[in-house]
Amino acid sequence: MKIFVRTRGEPFEFDCARNEKVLQAGLRAGVGLPFECGSGTCGTCKAELGTGELDEGWQEAPGRAYVKKEKSEFLMCQASPRSDCTIGVRAKVAPFPDGVPVPGHVSGQITKFEPLTHDVCRFEVTIESSILFHAGQFMLIGTEAIEGQRAYSMSHYRDNTDILEFVVKQVPDGGFTDWLFADDRTGSGLELFGPLGTATYTPTLSNNLVCIAGGSGLAPMLSILEHAVEAGHFSTYQGDLFFGVRTEDDIYLLERLERITSEAKGKVRTTVVLSDIIPSSFLSDTHSELRFDKGFVHESAMQKMEGKWENVMAYLAGPPPMIDATLRSLVLEAKLSPAAIRYDKFS
Amino acid sequence: MSWQQVCTTDDVDEDEMQEFEVGDITILVANASGEFYAYPPFCPHQETPLSLGMIDDDTLTCIKHLWQWNLKTGEMLDNAESPLLLYEVKVEGEVVLVNLEKELKYDYQ
Repeated sequence: MKIFVRTRGEPFEFDCARNEKVLQAGLRAGVGLPFECGSGTCGTCKAELGTGELDEGWQEAPGRAYVKKEKSEFLMCQASPRSDCTIGVRAKVAPFPDGVPVPGHVSGQITKFEPLTHDVCRFEVTIESSILFHAGQFMLIGTEAIEGQRAYSMSHYRDNTDILEFVVKQVPDGGFTDWLFADDRTGSGLELFGPLGTATYTPTLSNNLVCIAGGSGLAPMLSILEHAVEAGHFSTYQGDLFFGVRTEDDIYLLERLERITSEAKGKVRTTVVLSDIIPSSFLSDTHSELRFDKGFVHESAMQKMEGKWENVMAYLAGPPPMIDATLRSLVLEAKLSPAAIRYDKFS
Repeated sequence: MSWQQVCTTDDVDEDEMQEFEVGDITILVANASGEFYAYPPFCPHQETPLSLGMIDDDTLTCIKHLWQWNLKTGEMLDNAESPLLLYEVKVEGEVVLVNLEKELKYDYQ
């Protein structure tokens, strides 16, 4: 079926299958439709239906709170066509710029599954065909067992790969993570869509990197820093990683952080920040290349980065309250311009 | 008569913003270094409350996508794609008055 899109700029048209989401069909065709979470939460992808018929999909999607029925609005990330449709998007829409990977659908299977803490796991998905992604990007992941898809960042970087690695934290009443953590899911089939996301690192960047992560927000930072190390970024620039969790029991993948730090030959400083307890001397004794701090991760970053915000690109990932607190500090205290801050807001 | 009392100068701390209701209309009042400004409560981009945003000198920043404006004129800075709408404001003694002849709205509302 055809979707015709009116926008504040040029119009677009693309094909959309009956069981496909309008948003994914547009993105797959290289049309830069507005979206953030891609999974029904944020409401950013709302559009107006002109002519045609849609199945609006997931009725309980939290993002429906932003949709005005009287204006025939709907969420592009949830709706599928029942006929050719004309829709309107209140945004400037452009084709994907050259060099940005165009997302697509891909099937995969969990081929490695490893619990990291009581509520964080790492898993690898082997996908049926290789894809290119930029460090820091994410995929939408779904399984037949659960309605809808969820957004998870890749936690590694490979140039052209059929293996994707993810680090996922179990959330209360989270349909996908409840399923994921209930058993060893090695061998389970997944449906993925991506890559997506603009909080990316590519080696053309000429900035010092500051990565501020909370909880499973470490995943995209591993991708960014590992790619930057491999690309020789730290022969010229500095890097700082701040990784915030609650207690020592919530820390994971310290050996990966140590490897990044040592491969960057002292040019990347990693600080693990505990919000609820004072880090033990055992931690600092056994991980001498890493720094440990107590407090909120954005406060630790502000303190340790004081006077060093020149020529910085800041990357943020983590739970929404941590993102908002960090944004406030970066704008009001560090005086960074919005162009120097990269993050993808999932909610 | 369209000038309406919205709050007093003590109601909003310096470099802070706060929402007030006048009849059916929600107004966001900003206190920028002692000068008062009034806006519709949402970002011109999406329905993010601007009260969650930040004031730094003459710059107002929305928390969602860091769109920025000159808070005195509504003029776009940096990455904003739509200007900020402003109500006329006058301060008489400690009373902040806003010209509410017409409710200002963005096109998505």
